[in-house]
Amino acid sequence: MQASRARLFKEYKEVQREKTADPDIQLVCDDSNIFKWNALVKGPSETPYEGGIFQLAFSVPEQYPLQPPQVRFLTKIFHPNVHFKTGEICLDILKNAWSPAWTLQSVCRAIIALMAHPEPDSPLNCDSGNLLRSGDIRGFQSMARMYTKLAAMPKKS
Amino acid sequence: MRNLEMAFVPLDLPRPPMVLVGAAEFMAMGFRKISVARKAISTAMVSDSIANASISIAAKDFPRKKRANRSAKLKQCKLDARREQWLSQVKNKGCKGEPDASVVVDAHNQRGQSIENLEIMPREDMKVESVHPYSDLDSPSNSPTSHTSIALGSSTVSGTNFSGSSGDSSSGSSWSGSVTGEDEEGDDECLDDWEAVADALAATNDKKEQHTNSSLEEHIHPIDSPPELAHRPASQIVTLCPKPECVEKVQMVPPTGRAWKPDDTFRPQSLPNLSKQFSFPMNSGRHYGCGGVTWGSNNAPSLPSSCPICCEDLDFTDSTFLPCLCGFRLCLFCHKRILEEDGRCPGCRKQYNGGPIVGEATLDGGGLRLARSCSMVTRS
Repeated sequence: MQASRARLFKEYKEVQREKTADPDIQLVCDDSNIFKWNALVKGPSETPYEGGIFQLAFSVPEQYPLQPPQVRFLTKIFHPNVHFKTGEICLDILKNAWSPAWTLQSVCRAIIALMAHPEPDSPLNCDSGNLLRSGDIRGFQSMARMYTKLAAMPKKS
Repeated sequence: MRNLEMAFVPLDLPRPPMVLVGAAEFMAMGFRKISVARKAISTAMVSDSIANASISIAAKDFPRKKRANRSAKLKQCKLDARREQWLSQVKNKGCKGEPDASVVVDAHNQRGQSIENLEIMPREDMKVESVHPYSDLDSPSNSPTSHTSIALGSSTVSGTNFSGSSGDSSSGSSWSGSVTGEDEEGDDECLDDWEAVADALAATNDKKEQHTNSSLEEHIHPIDSPPELAHRPASQIVTLCPKPECVEKVQMVPPTGRAWKPDDTFRPQSLPNLSKQFSFPMNSGRHYGCGGVTWGSNNAPSLPSSCPICCEDLDFTDSTFLPCLCGFRLCLFCHKRILEEDGRCPGCRKQYNGGPIVGEATLDGGGLRLARSCSMVTRS
């Protein structure tokens, strides 16, 4: 537990230092609890998520970094590997492929990469996965872009 | 009390002539007068003794209080000095007519010599005291300046004193010993928290006492300010950094009762810079793994200074510990925890193959052999 705290504190300082290093990721720690983090990631370009800003919620276990953090989308996203209702993410590095060398920042990068490269063979969002698996790229992209505009973009009057 | 008794005497006097009185009564009245006079004398003595008692009680009580023990020590020093002064007056009755600073110096000298038998220190005492009374008498209102002169005088003395390393301890101890040989506890307490009280003392206490004390104590004051200064070298020797602190203390007194800022022009060149001390290679080197992230990340690719898993500093054993071929280093503690869980290298996600011993058996790497030996060392 003490190790996780020290590690998270170091990551916090790293984030503070490299605030402008990665413009696509804004990682902020909860004011009162260092085990709760929030992240804002920009949807990668040339994807249906482009222009959207997606909020992620991190819940870091006390065994961190030996155990992976629990991450989920707070923003609705139409993605085959993200549960549409709960925001749960199916990502191997958040499950069995986790390495203690990873950080919350690198998890954010991995999630951005996942948004750019969905994996329809292990879907949490079956509709989205089925669209991709059936080859309906256009349908998937339009759905994803619609939900991005609905949920992840600032509302226009 | 004394005033009351004196008022009784005129009351008694006019009454007898008015009333017709016999010789016996007149005699009685005369006796009463005498008794009244005696009473007045006795009350005066009583008040004196009460004052003395209160002082002595205060002197007894003060050392117990931690906060006020500095002033208590000063008062005790004064009392001691007064006692010594009286004693010396009795001794050298013929030589000194009035309780002057010279007498004080003499008494102090005698005591210092009798206790410590050092030839250097009494001379320094004389120097300091000869400086002090003049400044004291000349400008009693602005005591800081007078203290500055004292401080400067003593600083010159102590400065020359402290240049010699061998003479430091002896002279310092003689300073404190010559003054506080009589009360040990006061000395100890002074050593305890002189640093904390020194600033406030130098600024306020001396000033206050100088203004409020009687003329007798003003004469004594030259004695008890050298003790105050004299304690410092001794305690500085205890803290093993005599020179800078001594000078610092002396300089602390004049303007604000504070030490210099780092960019102060009056700051002597010989003083070590605090910022330099903080950025001392030893200190920063020990902590830069956790504290200075920039350092760690700059040096990280070649040899991380802290464990990337738990962020604890890597000690020598850890830094020579190479558990995996991929070159990912981590501390032995985290390695053990990883082995207990899934046993895969955090860097390459490959299995550790049962630890570095197996790795050494399959590969003839010097680093692995080193790792094994080191891990053996830590386990044994």
